[in-house]
Amino acid sequence: MSNFSLSSRSSGDIAVMMPKGYINDIAAECLEQENEQFLGHGMKKLVVNFSDVKFINTIGLSVFLGMMQKTLENNSILCFTNMKKDHQAIFEIAGLIKHVKVFKDEKDAFIYLDGRP
Amino acid sequence: MKDKKLHLKRLMFSIASLVDLGQEATSSKDLMSKMKAALFVITGTLSVPTAALFVYQPKRHELDLVVAKGHRDIDAEAIRLGATAIQVKQFRMNDPHTFRDLSANSFFEQNKTVLTNLQARIFLPLFAKGTFVGAITLGKKIGGAPYRQGEKDVLRVIAHQMAITLHNAHLFLELSKKATENRRLYRNMQRIYNDTIQAFAAAIDAKDGYTKDHSYRVASYSVAIAKELGWKKKDIEGIYVAGLLHDIGKIIIDTGLIRKGEKLTAGEINEIRKHPEISYDILSKVKFPWKDIDNFVRHHHERMDGKGYPDALMSRELSEGVKILSLADAFDAMTTDRPYRHKLGLDRTFQEFIECCGTQFDEKITGTFFNLLLRELSGEVMELQILPLLNNGDEGYLADGGTVART
Repeated sequence: MSNFSLSSRSSGDIAVMMPKGYINDIAAECLEQENEQFLGHGMKKLVVNFSDVKFINTIGLSVFLGMMQKTLENNSILCFTNMKKDHQAIFEIAGLIKHVKVFKDEKDAFIYLDGRP
Repeated sequence: MKDKKLHLKRLMFSIASLVDLGQEATSSKDLMSKMKAALFVITGTLSVPTAALFVYQPKRHELDLVVAKGHRDIDAEAIRLGATAIQVKQFRMNDPHTFRDLSANSFFEQNKTVLTNLQARIFLPLFAKGTFVGAITLGKKIGGAPYRQGEKDVLRVIAHQMAITLHNAHLFLELSKKATENRRLYRNMQRIYNDTIQAFAAAIDAKDGYTKDHSYRVASYSVAIAKELGWKKKDIEGIYVAGLLHDIGKIIIDTGLIRKGEKLTAGEINEIRKHPEISYDILSKVKFPWKDIDNFVRHHHERMDGKGYPDALMSRELSEGVKILSLADAFDAMTTDRPYRHKLGLDRTFQEFIECCGTQFDEKITGTFFNLLLRELSGEVMELQILPLLNNGDEGYLADGGTVART
């Protein structure tokens, strides 16, 4: 059984995805699919809230990598919020942190995104 | 100092990636899930959004796409890479190849369109124990950064691990195929074996029109008792076969003697009484997969009081299987017509068994059998095992008359 679940919501033109648990299995691929669905519906401001994420490994990185690639291709903005130090560290080591905007919390991300076209 | 720290972090990250890959490769997931997870580990480790894994089909000299990452609406079935033996020989084992590395190999020119469609930048041929088993294609890294030397080193280790995983999966599939084929052959052999035994039983019973299906009924009654006693499946099969073959020795007894309607002379009785030993002599030479078949048939005319034949054994010397077979044989003899008498009715049969219980028949086996028969008669049992065999006569099983059974 997977220790991963995903919930999401949209607020205006901003989509928020809240993964929960361990992002270390291909079950987390649904996060990538959810991201694509939002992009498909024309939403170009995407937020991932990490507050309930317990662990990320290279499979998880691959999922986020797919999300980053799609947002780049769609000229969209991907924001990460509520990241713990170890979450941020793994993205930094993999050299991926430069492809996303990182904020302390959703509120900061929304302030940034509200000012964007 | 900062560079050293970054280098150390990258090294730790690479080790963590290889641990992730090892966990996926050795997981209990099915091969496809395993391969997909492994491809995710690779893409996550190298920050490559697109990758594909191929498995080599040596008979077709083709690489079949099995799993891809980052390719939208891909038709995996249609994507193949041709790879002749000569082209494969030119690959460096488990070493990442750039397109420049491949330029001298006709493999690149032949598969250029597919490789371009897959946005491949790196081709990683997978070899296990010197055998080409598959390949991985990797696209460009996110942001277009070049592949670092350290990353190529990690790819070599990954290639070894992936190749072994594919190789093992292939071996497992081959073994599974062979196991399935062996099971099929075993079932066929079992069917032939059973058919042969049934044919023997039919041949035995054909000696005498009166004993038609006798062996089958004795086998079936024996099974009913063995089941009631909680015998194991394998042992129940054994008693069934013993039932079918218990009279095989009669095959070489004079047919006229077996069919004789009048009273037998002492010499004739002695001749007929040879059949359990003859049965034993025939069956003891057969290596049955069930135990004690020869012992069961040899002693199926022994009695609990030691007055049976051929060895006049006492109850304590007789196995449960012998006691079952003896009762089943006598019961069928009593409840079917014979040349020398009509079949007995059930009430008379009951009476015979009550009288002979403890002397001719074992008490426990007799109790078990008649208890089951009574439950069948009273409708307590849904799956009837005895009554259908009794009801095959045109007069029904309650008809009575005649003399004591000769089995």
